[in-house]
Amino acid sequence: MTKRKMFFRMITASLVRRRSRMLVALLAIAVGATILSGLVTIYYDVPRQMGAEFRNYGANMILLPEGSGAFDNAEVDAALSKIPAASVVGVAPYRYESVTINEQPIVAAGTHMDGARAASPYWYIDGEWPAASGELLLGKEIAEKLSTKLGAELNVRYALTEEDEDHSDLFVKENSRKMIVAGILETGGSEEEYIYMAMEDLEALTESAGELDVAELSVSGSQAELQGYADSINASLDGVTARLVKRVTQSESTVLTKLQALVLLVTVIVLALTMICVATTMTAVVTERRREIGLRKALGASDASIIWEFMGEGLLLGLVGGLLGACLGFAFAQAVSVNVFSNSIAFRPLLLPITIIVSILVTGLACILPVRSATDIDPALVLKGE
Amino acid sequence: MFFRMIRGAFTRQRGKMLMIALTIALGASLATAMLNVMFDVGDKVAQELKTYGANITVVPKAASVLDNLYEVEGGDAAEGAYLREDELGKIKTIFWAFNIVDYAPFIDTDASLADGREVNVVGTWFNHYMALPTGETLNTGVQNLRTWWDITEGRWLDESQPDDANACMVGASVAAAAGIRAGDSIRLQGPRAGTTLTVVGVYDSGDSADDQIYAPLAQVQKLSNTAGCVSSIEVSALTTPDNELALRAAKDPKSLSASQYETWYCTAYVSSICFQIQEVITDAVASPVRQVADSEGAIMEKTQLLMILITILALVGSGLGISNLVTASVMERSNEIGLMKAIGANDRAITGLVLTEIVIVGIVGAVIGYFAGFGFAQIIGHSVFGSAIEMKAMVIPIVAVLVVVVTLVGSIPAVRTLLRLDPTVVLHGR
Amino acid sequence: MSLLELKDVSKIYGDLHALDKINLKVDTGEWVAIMGPSGSGKSTMMNIIGCMDKPTSGEVLLDGVDISRESAKSLTRIRRDKIGLIFQQFHLVNYLTAVENVMMAQYYHSVPDEKEALRALARVGLADRAKHLPSQLSGGEQQRVCIARALINYPELLLADEPTGNLDEANENVVLDIFSQLHKEGTTLVVVTHDPEVAEVAQRTVTLGHGKIISDKLNEGFKE
Repeated sequence: MTKRKMFFRMITASLVRRRSRMLVALLAIAVGATILSGLVTIYYDVPRQMGAEFRNYGANMILLPEGSGAFDNAEVDAALSKIPAASVVGVAPYRYESVTINEQPIVAAGTHMDGARAASPYWYIDGEWPAASGELLLGKEIAEKLSTKLGAELNVRYALTEEDEDHSDLFVKENSRKMIVAGILETGGSEEEYIYMAMEDLEALTESAGELDVAELSVSGSQAELQGYADSINASLDGVTARLVKRVTQSESTVLTKLQALVLLVTVIVLALTMICVATTMTAVVTERRREIGLRKALGASDASIIWEFMGEGLLLGLVGGLLGACLGFAFAQAVSVNVFSNSIAFRPLLLPITIIVSILVTGLACILPVRSATDIDPALVLKGE
Repeated sequence: MFFRMIRGAFTRQRGKMLMIALTIALGASLATAMLNVMFDVGDKVAQELKTYGANITVVPKAASVLDNLYEVEGGDAAEGAYLREDELGKIKTIFWAFNIVDYAPFIDTDASLADGREVNVVGTWFNHYMALPTGETLNTGVQNLRTWWDITEGRWLDESQPDDANACMVGASVAAAAGIRAGDSIRLQGPRAGTTLTVVGVYDSGDSADDQIYAPLAQVQKLSNTAGCVSSIEVSALTTPDNELALRAAKDPKSLSASQYETWYCTAYVSSICFQIQEVITDAVASPVRQVADSEGAIMEKTQLLMILITILALVGSGLGISNLVTASVMERSNEIGLMKAIGANDRAITGLVLTEIVIVGIVGAVIGYFAGFGFAQIIGHSVFGSAIEMKAMVIPIVAVLVVVVTLVGSIPAVRTLLRLDPTVVLHGR
Repeated sequence: MSLLELKDVSKIYGDLHALDKINLKVDTGEWVAIMGPSGSGKSTMMNIIGCMDKPTSGEVLLDGVDISRESAKSLTRIRRDKIGLIFQQFHLVNYLTAVENVMMAQYYHSVPDEKEALRALARVGLADRAKHLPSQLSGGEQQRVCIARALINYPELLLADEPTGNLDEANENVVLDIFSQLHKEGTTLVVVTHDPEVAEVAQRTVTLGHGKIISDKLNEGFKE
C-alpha cells in the first residue's frame, strides 16, 4: 500500500465513519454554497428579469418618418431587423386621421391591436380589446364627451380630400362606417382623447393603405443597447428616424441600477456572513479533534502531514458540499424566478466550478486555523487525560 | 452551585462560548439586516420609481369637454374651466399628505417669438418653496418630476434665485430651430400680453416637451391673462400596489361597505389618494397615470417578493448555521455530560445546565447580532438608496424567536442523544 | 552502552521542582518500571523520555543523542523512529479500524503495509478483531491494539504510561504477558505505573518521590 492510498483511506474513513459530525459540517458547507450559487445566479438574472417587468412602462423607442410625411410597414420591418428579435417585446404602428362622430371632430388612430397591447401593457380596457373588424376602442374622455356606453354603435365618418393647385384641401367625398364600441380605454394620459381601430378598418375608411405616422417599440435592453439599436437604424435607413423615449429608458436604467446594487449588496453581506458561519462551524468540528491531532503528533506525524490530512478532509467536504450547494442554489434561484417573475432562469455553467472552488477555499481556510493551533500544542498535554 | 457551574463554563471555556456567541450573532445580524431591508424595500423602491414622474394628474372637471368642443385655446379665464392656484397647498393636507412626494401645477398658452415663430409656453413650478399649513416647508416642482430631462446648456430654473422670476427654460428643438442659447433674452408675445424672459437653460427631454418653453407660472398666467388659474396638476405620490378592493373602489367608492371604505380610504392606494385630492380641490378630477401607477405596482410587488425569498433563504441559512454549531458544541461535551451522570446528576439537571448556558450565549449573541445587523441594513440603505433604512420594531421579536427556536432545535436533540449514552462508555474509550 | 541516560535532569514549573536532578541509565533490553505516587514526577519523566517535553536543565541521551537540545521538529522525528508509546487511555482514532490504527503509525514512520500490521495484531492475539472499530473492542483489546501500534515500527524503546490503569485484572495479565514476551525478544521497556503489581513483574523498579529517585533496585523475583 502506498502512502497516498493510506492518506485517502484515512480521510474517507474519517468522513464515512464519523457520519453524524461530517453531516453537520457538510450541511454547513452545502448551505453556504447554496446561498452563494443561488444569490449569484439571481444577481446576474435580476436585470434581465426585472427589465422584462419594466417593459410594463410601455414603448421605449419610437420610429418617426424622416422629415415630414409618412412611412410604411416595410420600413418598420427594415428597422426591426436591426434589433434582435428576442429583445422586441411589442411593436405598435400608428396612423392618425381626423374623423367625425356625431358631428364632432375626433382623432382616430389605426393600429395593430395585438401590437398595441404588447407595447402598452398598462392600458386599462373597460370591456374587451377589439377583436373583429368594425370594432372600436374609445378613449375615456371621448366616451364621456359622446356619452357613449360599451356596445354602442357609432357612425364614423371620414371626409376624403385631395390637394388642388393652391395646396388647399378639396373635398372629394365622404366615407362612413357603423362601428361597435368594444372597449373604453383608460390610461390617465393623452391616449384617452383618441379612438382606436384596426389598421385595416382605417385604411378602408380612408381608401389609402400602407402609411404610418409613428411606430412604438417596446424593446428590452439597457439604455446603451437601445441607443445602439437606434443609432444603427438611423445610420442605415433613410425613411425613418428612431428615437428613444427618454423618460422610460433613463428612468429604467436609474431604477434598475439601484435594484441591481441592492441585490449585489445583499448578496455580498449574506455571503460574507454565511461564509463566516461556515468557517466557525468547520472550526468547531476541527477543534473537537484536538486530542486526535495530539495523538498523531505523538505517533511521530510532522505538522505538515497533519495539516494535509485535515485539509484533505476539508477539501473533500468542500467539494461535495459545493457540488450539492451549487445544485440546490440553482434550484432556489429557479424557484425564485418562477415565483417572482414566472419565468425560468438560465443555468450558468461557470457558477458550478466557482461555487465549488469558493466552498473548498472557505472550508480549507476554516480548517487550517484550528489545525495549526492544535499542532502548536504539546502532544503530552493533549494526551494527558481530559 | 448551578450558577457557579454556569459561570465556570463561561469563564473557563471562554473561547468556545465566544465562538458560539459569534456564530449566533452573525446569524442574528443576517436575519436582522435582511428583515429590515425586506420591510423597507417597498418604500425605498417606490421612492426610486418616482423618477418616472407623476403618477396622478388632476384636471378641472369640464376642461377637456370645453376645450375640444369649441376648440378654445388660451381663452379668457371666465370661458375655460380652471383649477384654483390658491388651493394648491391643500394637496399637502389630505390624509395621505405624507405620501405626496412632489407636485406641480401647469398652465400653457401659445405665444409667438420675436421672429414670429409660434411656440407653446408652459407655466409651472420648478423648485417652488411652499410653507404648508402644517408648519412644514416643501420645495417641489418639475425639477423633481422631470428627472429624465438632460440640461444641455445652462442650468435648472430656480424660483428661489431672485433673477429667475423673469427666466425660462427652452426645449432643445425650439432652441435649435430659433437659434436660442442659454443667457439669451427672448421676447414672448402671448394672446393677452407680452413679456421678455432670460433663458437660463436648454433641456433635452426626448418627448414633445422639446418643442415647448417652460416658464414660471406667473409669467404664463400674465401672457394669457389667467391670474390665479392652473389647468392641470401633476402629483407624484408613494402608493401601495392596487388590489381587488382598490380596483372596485376606483370604479365607485359608494359600492364599498363602511368598513371596506375605511380600509380603502386609509390605505395609500392610488385611487384613494386621487379621491382625497378631489375632496380638497374644487371641481377637479384626479386620475392615475396608468403608465406610471400600474408599472410601479408591478415592480414594487416583484421587488418585495424577491427580497422576501432572499430573506427566507438567509433566515434558513443562518438558522441551519446556528443550530449546526450548537449541535457540534453540545456533542463535544459528551465527556462532561457522562461525568455529570456518573456523579449522579439526573437528566433534567443536565439538560437544564446545558440549555441555560446555550440560551445565555444565544441572548448575548442575538443582542450583538441585532445591532450589527441593523448596521448592515443601514449600509445597504445608504449605499443603494442614499437614505436610512427604517428600524422596524417587528424585527426584534422575529429575530428573538428565530434565535431561541434555532438554538433549542440545535441543542435539544444533541443533549438527548448524549443523555441516552451510558456514562461508562462516555468516560472510557471513545 | 546504555540506550537511555538521564544526567542531572530537572524540570521546574514555576517554583515546583517536578524533577530534581535525576540521574538514570537504562540499558538496551532492560525492562524498567518507574513507580511513585501521584505528583512524584512520573508523568514529567515519561514526557521527557518520550520526546514530548524538554527538561529545564540536564541532558537526556537517547541512543547517544542529547534530545534535550533538539528542536521540536527533530524531536518528532526521533519519537517516530525510536520510541513506541502506549497510553493509559489507549488513544485510538475512533473512526479507524484496529488494523488502520496500526497502519497509521507505519504511515507516519515510513510506508503503510497492511500485512505487516495484521501480523502485529496477530502477535497481540487480535488477528480476528483487525477490522473492528475501537468502539467495538473491549478495553483490553484496545490496549493490545495500542501495543501493536507501538511495536509496528520496531522502536528501540517502548514507553508505556499506566498501560493497565484502565484495565481489569484479566486484561492486565494479558498485557503484562505481552510485555514479558517482548522483553524476552529483547525489546527495551520503560513502564510508568503506580501499581506495585505491575512494577513487580519488571526486571528493575525505580521509585520516584517529590522529583527525586528514592530507590532503584532489581526485582529479586524476576524470571528471565
